[in-house]
Amino acid sequence: MRAVGAALAFSVAACNNQTGFSGSVGNTPNGPPLTSYDILGTVGTPFTAIVSNARSSWVLQGNVPLSVVICNNLLPARIVATKATSDSSLLSLEIINGFRVFDLESTSAPFGNVSVQAGGTLSAISSPASPDLRIFVAGPLNSRYTALVEDITTGFVIDARAPTLILFDTPDGKVDATFFGGQDYGSFNLNMTLNGAVVATVVQGPNATIREP
Amino acid sequence: MKDFFVHRIARALIIPFVTLTCVLLAGVGPARAAKNASVEIGFVGVPPPNFQNVLLNVQSVRINPNANAGPGSGRWQNIPVPPGIGGAGQNAELQIDLNTSQNVPQLFNTNAVQAGTYAVAEILLDPNNPGTLIPNCPGASPLSDGCIGYPIQLATGTSVISVQNTGPGGLIQPGKGKLAALVLQLTVTINQAPTTPFGAYVVTVTMTSPPTNPVELGTVTGSVTVKAGSGSGSSSTGKVRKLAVTAEAIGTNTPIATAPVKNGQFTLLLPAASGPAPPGFGTLYDLAVAGGADTYAADRLPPLYPGQSISDDFTVTGSQTLGNITGTITDNCVATKPIIGATLQLLIPPQAPNPNSAVDCSVPANAPLCVAVATANTDNAGDFPLPGTITTPAEFANVPPAPKSNVNGAYAMEITAPGYDPLIVQAKPGTGTNKQGGGTCSTDGGTTFSACNLALNTGYISGTIPIEPPISGQSTLVQVFAEDAGTDNIESALPMPVTVTSSNIGFIDFTLNVPTKPIPPAAVRPFDLFATTIDLYQGVTDPYQGHTIAVLSDVTGPSGPSAPGACSTATATFPLDPDHTITCIGHGSTAGAVALANLGTTVVLSKQDTASGGFVQITNSLAQNQSPNSSPSNRYSFCAPADTYGLQRVQLPMPIASVVPSVAPTPEPDGSPTTVTILPPPLAGGPTPTPTPGIKCPTTCSNPGGSCPGICNNEPGPTL
Repeated sequence: MRAVGAALAFSVAACNNQTGFSGSVGNTPNGPPLTSYDILGTVGTPFTAIVSNARSSWVLQGNVPLSVVICNNLLPARIVATKATSDSSLLSLEIINGFRVFDLESTSAPFGNVSVQAGGTLSAISSPASPDLRIFVAGPLNSRYTALVEDITTGFVIDARAPTLILFDTPDGKVDATFFGGQDYGSFNLNMTLNGAVVATVVQGPNATIREP
Repeated sequence: MKDFFVHRIARALIIPFVTLTCVLLAGVGPARAAKNASVEIGFVGVPPPNFQNVLLNVQSVRINPNANAGPGSGRWQNIPVPPGIGGAGQNAELQIDLNTSQNVPQLFNTNAVQAGTYAVAEILLDPNNPGTLIPNCPGASPLSDGCIGYPIQLATGTSVISVQNTGPGGLIQPGKGKLAALVLQLTVTINQAPTTPFGAYVVTVTMTSPPTNPVELGTVTGSVTVKAGSGSGSSSTGKVRKLAVTAEAIGTNTPIATAPVKNGQFTLLLPAASGPAPPGFGTLYDLAVAGGADTYAADRLPPLYPGQSISDDFTVTGSQTLGNITGTITDNCVATKPIIGATLQLLIPPQAPNPNSAVDCSVPANAPLCVAVATANTDNAGDFPLPGTITTPAEFANVPPAPKSNVNGAYAMEITAPGYDPLIVQAKPGTGTNKQGGGTCSTDGGTTFSACNLALNTGYISGTIPIEPPISGQSTLVQVFAEDAGTDNIESALPMPVTVTSSNIGFIDFTLNVPTKPIPPAAVRPFDLFATTIDLYQGVTDPYQGHTIAVLSDVTGPSGPSAPGACSTATATFPLDPDHTITCIGHGSTAGAVALANLGTTVVLSKQDTASGGFVQITNSLAQNQSPNSSPSNRYSFCAPADTYGLQRVQLPMPIASVVPSVAPTPEPDGSPTTVTILPPPLAGGPTPTPTPGIKCPTTCSNPGGSCPGICNNEPGPTL
């Protein structure tokens, strides 16, 4: 089995330059593993949320489900979500670290609040992110994809399920991202917003790249 | 970062390798039996008394025909957390509250399994975080606070809870092509309260099935006859959703359960409210039939009772040429501002012989008479619909042509978003594949149809709320809500809570989006406002706030826009007095009984606006643990900051057996409100001598002198 593994590793290594990506995409050093903040519950439930780490904060709105990932995150981080409907639908917040649910809170109350934090206590919400760079990833619901999101100095690998909101905290230079859906994934629908304005849109699949202009 | 791509390719190569290995090894094992039956899992809770919430984090449920099966048995049939609702894969987890599932089962999920007799069921809790207990005041012990979360530690040391039945019928016998329900009763008993601050409760979780009280499930079954159609039977956007029947809570698009249509038949097992007297209280549902390149159908049902069955048959027309409805929803007050998270529903009337089977659902007054058969939401650019899964397209991507008998041959499409006026338009599906180009809509009653790029009206309420700023180094978040005056129907909340720090000058500014259309017969639309805080308790999330709630009743809302962009603002200034000021006060709780409660009884907690005299409704509590539970207590319970509140019993009308209601019933006050005062906790820490030595400041908040609220008080509530 070791021999098979070694052969496999060798053959894979030989493919290193055949990915089709070089230069501006894929040359950055690894960033640390990312924590994701999953907003789950009754599918379609609208919510508003504020996400903050020790340096920046973001206000967002959306519908369940949504995964939120912060690149270049500076812990501790906290997310507070408010259900935006007066029915009894479920809203859950989960902090996912690796394959573990680190924390979980749920509410079914009308316009109920939930709040979770990771990496310690965040006693105050930080000032709004500047620049506020976001990538909204729509794709087949609940299908897993991988992505590389990078500025000019660091690349972050994301393993998530669509829809996802990727927040890039204090990027160094321009940001680009490459998404890999795998066979039969369908299409990604990517929106990059900078300070609230859509600056790039890509509809492509099963792989897609989006760059900050 | 090139390692990333190396690993991707390695994974791509390993998967076929492993697959091949598995295929080769498959020959040495037993043939894999087809999963041709379905099992629906539900939970009934038996919580310990005096807890506000008893939360268990469930990862999955599995069943096995062999009562002695080990963890590695290949015969386990897994029923996972529903994707999307509780995550997916290894991270899947769903939090259930045993307090709210005491009377009616909480459905977990339905999954395909092999037909057979199953002797054992196991529930897998999160081994790292099996659950949370939130006790009422005075908390875990006289030295521990209440209304805060405590972790639980399982006394057995394992997060797997099981139940067996080795009798001939086992726990459950799902037959081939059949749906069977397995209701698991979860009982939590306290072995030991925390012995240290923020320590864990040691608990024992046991499971029984069937529950000791009657299984409160009813059956809805019937047929769907598909007549031959003349269309293509395909979709311009690709795949076609499977034909299914979905049960929705009456008058909403909230799905409770979905059943596929197989051989023209469907079966739904649904929670059904019982009561002290047969046949029970009854639960009301709508049915929506959609999918399969067929026309839509819908119905509104009479009340469903435990153990009873309702039969409902539908006829649809097949081979439709499916289209899509796409577009963008924006704010009519701010040019190009997308409305994120708006909800769109296609409405059709219930089928004959319902007396409303011919109503025009595009007339706003008729919308409550209709049933939602397809739902979509907007994304962060205001575009709809969000994509479906790889195998199941979005509901708005598979829309059959509207019946010619519909007004203008179009559907009624309702668009709602918190803080905005609902909008009902006429919509026709298109066959374009461009996300922006599918379908047309009419906002003028059908005179003109154009792309479904629609704008919602709104108005604003701006004001100030006095607040006692936190001490240096602390902060809190303030959330403001607007609800229709005199009701608990919350219409809007701030998109971003206001952060308050020690530098605050004593009040906060806020601006809320609110709807503008008056509710007939009123000429204006008044709102009640209340502001709560989102706090931390000694650095961890505080499930219940420790600051007072500020209320302002009967605020006249803004008028509608006179033109796009010309929107109105109403002002709401909370008086600068102690009754309207948000202050650090600490937790509190109140609990009591409800006489002669049924499953339509709730208790509303409200606070009086001392300036106007009006009460503003804040939250409500079910009357929990009702008959036919053993030793029913009919209890209500609230965690709320120490203050004086109103308690009002509210009653949802009991559905009339065999009678189909026209619209969803609404609850009405029952009797006179009473007041209850929860005393503030004694102060702890700081320069003030502390009567609660177990508490270290700050708790939720601190006072300027350094003291903080100590262990909270529980005020016995009146019997309502």
